[in-house]
Amino acid sequence: MSRHSFLESTLQGFTRAVAKALQSEHAASQPGLLQQLDPRVRVIGTFALVVSVILCRRLEAIAAILLVAIAIAVASRVSLAALAKRVWLVILGFTGVIALPALFITPGEPLFTSPALHLSISAQGVRTAVLLVLRVETAATLTTVLVLSTAWTHILKALRSLHLPAEIVTMLAMTHRYVFLLIETANQMFESRKSRTVGVLSGAERRRMTARTAGVLLSKSIELSQEVYLAMLSRGFRGEVRLLTDFRLKPRDYVGLTAFLFTGCLAVWMGR
Amino acid sequence: MLSRGPTYNNAPVEIDEIMHIPDGYLSPSTCGTLYLFAAWGWYAALKRIKQLLATRAIPLISVFAAFSFVVMMFNVPLPGGTTGHAVGVGVAAIVLGPWGSILAISIALAIQALFFGDGGITTLGANCFNMAIVGSFTAYVVYRTIATNSNLKSRQRVVAAAVAGYVAINASALVTAVELGIQPMLFHDASGTPLYAPYPLHVAIPAMMIGHLTLAGLAEAVISAGMVSYLQRADLGLLRGVSGLGQTPGTIIAGASPERSQGRLWWAVALLMLFTPLGILAAGTAWGEWSSADLMNPHTREQIAAASGNHAPPSSVPVGIERLSTLWTAPFPGYAPGFIKSPVFGYLLSAMFGVGFLVLASLLGRAVGRKWPGGNLRS
Amino acid sequence: MASTFEVQDISFSYEAIPAIRGLTLHIGEGDRVALLGANGSGKSTLLRILDALYFPSAGTVTFKGEALTEKHLQEEEFSLNFRRRVALVFQNPDVQLFNPTVFDEIAYGPLQLQWGKEDVIRRVDETLEFMSISHLRDRPPYRLSGGEKKRVALASVLVLDPEVLLLDEPTATLDPKSQSQVVDLIQQWKGTARTVITATHQLEIVEDIADRVFVLEAGTVIAEGTPAEILSNTDLLLRANLIHAHRHSHGGVVHSHPHLHGHSRHEHEH
Repeated sequence: MSRHSFLESTLQGFTRAVAKALQSEHAASQPGLLQQLDPRVRVIGTFALVVSVILCRRLEAIAAILLVAIAIAVASRVSLAALAKRVWLVILGFTGVIALPALFITPGEPLFTSPALHLSISAQGVRTAVLLVLRVETAATLTTVLVLSTAWTHILKALRSLHLPAEIVTMLAMTHRYVFLLIETANQMFESRKSRTVGVLSGAERRRMTARTAGVLLSKSIELSQEVYLAMLSRGFRGEVRLLTDFRLKPRDYVGLTAFLFTGCLAVWMGR
Repeated sequence: MLSRGPTYNNAPVEIDEIMHIPDGYLSPSTCGTLYLFAAWGWYAALKRIKQLLATRAIPLISVFAAFSFVVMMFNVPLPGGTTGHAVGVGVAAIVLGPWGSILAISIALAIQALFFGDGGITTLGANCFNMAIVGSFTAYVVYRTIATNSNLKSRQRVVAAAVAGYVAINASALVTAVELGIQPMLFHDASGTPLYAPYPLHVAIPAMMIGHLTLAGLAEAVISAGMVSYLQRADLGLLRGVSGLGQTPGTIIAGASPERSQGRLWWAVALLMLFTPLGILAAGTAWGEWSSADLMNPHTREQIAAASGNHAPPSSVPVGIERLSTLWTAPFPGYAPGFIKSPVFGYLLSAMFGVGFLVLASLLGRAVGRKWPGGNLRS
Repeated sequence: MASTFEVQDISFSYEAIPAIRGLTLHIGEGDRVALLGANGSGKSTLLRILDALYFPSAGTVTFKGEALTEKHLQEEEFSLNFRRRVALVFQNPDVQLFNPTVFDEIAYGPLQLQWGKEDVIRRVDETLEFMSISHLRDRPPYRLSGGEKKRVALASVLVLDPEVLLLDEPTATLDPKSQSQVVDLIQQWKGTARTVITATHQLEIVEDIADRVFVLEAGTVIAEGTPAEILSNTDLLLRANLIHAHRHSHGGVVHSHPHLHGHSRHEHEH
């Protein structure tokens, strides 16, 4: 076991986060189906389909939406391998494992009994486990495709024009912008601590190192926020936030929106 | 050993400590209700923070949200050689006060869901309610109660921070567990299949609490205590909280108005009380929450059959239920203290107890905030 | 000559630490001024006071006859007017790039001043062209290099065509090419009505960017003059910690003399 394994995991987490961001940027610039649509339509449409997923009561309907989601992904040049790695396998490993005991402990008619282990799997158990996993997979596929195909600034502007308060949108924007700066700062701090540490640290020492890094990061963050505040004041900020929204709906957007809503409603109706 | 397992929130998954509920675990009505609760929290927090910090609010909350996002990615080494993840709600409540903390943590969660695609979008309201709102208030109240008016540099503050972080995470976990646990009872199809989260309360609660009482709670305690300790040496001003942070030229700090926010709190409590009798939906025993005894009693077996689309329950107690039923004995077994026969009354009583607890917590928060001025909020 | 800034005997402290003590100076319209000082001499603080971000605890500051006080800046009309006419470029560009993309960043100023949408877009594109950064239009700030960030920061203030530019260490941490680009820009404004006040500790650019120099030390002005006068006064520069006395040995003899890095060979007696 590496002596700095806890640092390694954290550092890897940072790398993954930045990689995800770059992945997003790349996919958003592809000439695919979703990319052609107004971001507001994409956001509303995706949300509508996810709501449909949780309204459906039947496996078949949810599976149908999953197929639709995959089709949209392919049409929008989102790599299925990326989806598999980022969404499908992760969820199988997480929700899949969570759902496993449900096979055994959900009351209902037994499908399969193992007399040796005194365990039986009920039909209801199977259904509920599959339902859960399918729902989670489908919803996550939809949101991931949205996130991959849409630039962050467009998501923000879509939220703003859907009447989310300007302050909230500004805070989301600013937070996102500074997340990467702080990731880099934290990365540097951990790297330098890693290289300066000789020998194996005790548990208490490692805790202190982590907490201290967090503390330094906090001080820098507050200082950063104070400087940003001054910079905002210097450019005329007086408390009100003014944003530029320049979206115009084209005919294809209406078509897209209708398609999303229709699919959602159909699935819910058939899956009731 | 470098774990190459599945990742969630850019960190290797440790199953027992995930509190971010993905889409699909909660029914639409649960999601909607919790979104409403969360929206109330966000609205109230935004108003209060604008009062307290005026123009300073936007950069401060944003950068703090970025900070807590990054802290959520830290692997915190724990006693015993394992690692856990903190949320940062302890530090946020201490430095920003509960309202600022609600906003900062909510924004971090929103970025996770909307930009990184981690965490559900229908469950964002629920996650914010559980972690940002319940977590922040709990952390704040516990911290102020234990820290009292002690010297900013005292050990008492560090201990207060540790306990506050620990209790806050476990409170969040409990609320999450309850939300998940009531799903099978309320939302199932005719054959008895749970439609969303499949585990009833007496499974969900121990399952979630064990992971958080041990790992996540400790991680939060370590980070909260460690950071307060660091700030005591390096940046004392931050421990003074929001009133200290507002000191910048051009900031207009209006007086806070406690009366109006109290009125809203009572409304929220009233609403909650209205919702709790939902537990009395099922006649007799709640569906799914059968004890082993219920399954053996012929009378209740008939009831169960009737409630389950006329499918007879298994003739012997499923081993799973047998095993798990001993794990958790609710303080009110069968939700009714011995002398009360009627289950309806039992539900009412439990509801009262739960709500009373909440009211107590908020009253405590108000009293604590008033009694020790110079704290984070002038309320 | 019309006066731009009149600073009369001001003092300012951070918490209990004094940063400016009894500082007085006058800057006229179209002046190109350098504030020379080591780190901690108070030059950054002075720039922020000139930009009405901090207010002195004693003394007065006026801009074109108008007093810069906290109360005055809370008036909307005066404040918007002032913010358009006076611009500060911060030393750390990350602090100044707080918008999601380069376009949004440059558009921020005009938007706060409530310009119309078409005007904003047109003006931003013009500025992008002017600074040769049109290709960075939709880039988020965390994907910019140091030099690019500085150019975007400059663009974000130039978009409003300010009368006064306050530059805080504009060339620090830049590679030589980016440095010379910034210096060229400042040189372009020589002889125009634009007032440029640059705070720096880099002696080698002073001649190019300023006609007048104020030397700061410990929060007050210790000397004033032309670049030639100031740069030749080695005692002054030593005192202000802008150069150092460097010891070296050759031929078995050790001696020290003050000198400036960046100058090539120099002859000396020994």
